[in-house]
Amino acid sequence: MNIPKLVLKNITRRKGRFIFTLLGITIGIASFVTLLSLGGGLKKEIKKQATELGANLVVTPKGWCAYEQISVLTGEQLPEAIPFDVVKKISAIKGLTAVPYLTERTAIKNSPVPVIGILPEEMKAFKAWAMEKGSYFETQNEKAVIIGSGIAQQFKLNPMNELTIRGEKFSVKGILKETGGKDDIAMFMPLSVAQRLYGVRDMVSFIAVKVDDIAKVDEYILKIQETANVAVVSDKQLLKSVLSIVGTVSLTLQLIAAVAILAAAFGIINTMMTAIYERKREIGILQAIGAKRSTIFKAFLLESGFYGILGGIIGVASGLVFSSIASPYISQNEFTAFMKGTEVAGSFDLRLVLWSLIFSLFVSLVSGFYPAWRASKLTPVEAISYE
Amino acid sequence: MNDMIIKTENLVKTYNTSKVKTYALRGVTLEIPRGTFSCITGPSGHGKSTLMHLIGGLDSPTEGRVFIDGLVVTRLSSSELADLRAEKIGFVFQFFNLLQNLTALENVETAMMFSKNRNNHKEKASGLLSLVGLSDKLDAKPSELSGGQQQRVAIARALANDPDILLMDEPTGNLDSESEAEVLGHISELHKKGKTVVIVTHNNEIAKMAEMVFKIRDGRLDLH
Repeated sequence: MNIPKLVLKNITRRKGRFIFTLLGITIGIASFVTLLSLGGGLKKEIKKQATELGANLVVTPKGWCAYEQISVLTGEQLPEAIPFDVVKKISAIKGLTAVPYLTERTAIKNSPVPVIGILPEEMKAFKAWAMEKGSYFETQNEKAVIIGSGIAQQFKLNPMNELTIRGEKFSVKGILKETGGKDDIAMFMPLSVAQRLYGVRDMVSFIAVKVDDIAKVDEYILKIQETANVAVVSDKQLLKSVLSIVGTVSLTLQLIAAVAILAAAFGIINTMMTAIYERKREIGILQAIGAKRSTIFKAFLLESGFYGILGGIIGVASGLVFSSIASPYISQNEFTAFMKGTEVAGSFDLRLVLWSLIFSLFVSLVSGFYPAWRASKLTPVEAISYE
Repeated sequence: MNDMIIKTENLVKTYNTSKVKTYALRGVTLEIPRGTFSCITGPSGHGKSTLMHLIGGLDSPTEGRVFIDGLVVTRLSSSELADLRAEKIGFVFQFFNLLQNLTALENVETAMMFSKNRNNHKEKASGLLSLVGLSDKLDAKPSELSGGQQQRVAIARALANDPDILLMDEPTGNLDSESEAEVLGHISELHKKGKTVVIVTHNNEIAKMAEMVFKIRDGRLDLH
């Protein structure tokens, strides 16, 4: 017989209460882990997308909010608000390359798929795309589509297959090599074809700009703004503002999870206090046969710590499982669309796991501190005389 | 005198409840020689159990001192008191006070857990249970045992760390006459083996077995 064994025997005595208290801390930790791992994955993915965009500057219409800036990275549908003339004017500035994006949307077998209108030659050079199968556009107004490798896989498409977009037939001309980013799950067509198909005549959604001399980024921002009435953000600013929004959102969610953990902590306190009242006489017996106050304190602290360890382990495990189940659903949301087709859900962050376990143990020990102190303060005669 | 294993000096115990001071003990001085069988008797509520609690270090007196084996118990810290209870004193209570979720064997082993000697707990515990005739009940929970059997487990537990002193509070108060005889037999055996036995009781039969009888009345030792 030893203290841990005694504690284990005590803790499983009231099975219902044990399970409910455990559930409290488990749910708290699980929601915390889910939100942290989704939030962490989201940030990682945003950074990846920003790199993949390959632009130093993004030209947007004036007055776009952060939501639309996020959509630049996610490849969501955007208003077509910049006249093509502006693209020409910006392209004319020396020392930079500008490529326009017209982001629209279609559906294959009822699943939404981004359709992006591009200037074929310019974009190929800009992105350094390589082909997996088939061939690339040959002219600037060819009526065909190039698809990302993810789309090809998802819908089992091959070159020469036909697709219907807004009632018109398009053949798949080629499939891009996997890029690991949004381009894998998008469909591209020449800008002029897209403009006609979506009836937006001469407009584009935004322009990605790469500058030759990175040190002169600020200079180029001014030059572009002199040329046209547009807003220009650097990739760093874009990333910063997107990350700050995502950060705020996930911080808010984590605070909610923290409240859940706080409620669970009170659940533990409540259970421990009840246990002390129920076992008051037993505490007295233990003292009579030689248990020190410090032993009683340790035993009760160990008991509440047990909730933390077990609740932490189950909570972390179910949080990771839950985040992998939840990620495809929340990827329907533009804010979290990054998750789509990425490996965020499966990402196993050892640091997150360890910290969550430590946090769970810490919460349970803090919760157990007061009840354990109360138990250890009982005098033997007071405890043993308790009926 | 070294032979006095238990000594109390002018023990006073008062309880302050809602502005009224109640005296449980009003100055008790007694000496109990090593290896003797003593009884503390007296009417209910006159301070017998309080005296036993003070001797056993379960409670502290308002005034006066308790000596166990020359040690001033009343000066010990709560941790030193716990060591004293673990090593030197075995308690047996009227209502057995076994841990209900543990088996007979585990109850005895639990007491060994608090001793400095950390070897062969299981073996020793089952040996003690055999000594009180319960070798076939090692894995029984208290709820599966009769009152007499539970009290025998409690006696085995009191002997767990081979203490010099056994303090018993109405050990047969809750038993039928057959179980009582059995339990008293075991107590008598222990006395013969050299243990100092102090029993708090109403029972005249037990008092007759004792070498020394202390009568407590109104919190004082009744010398008549």
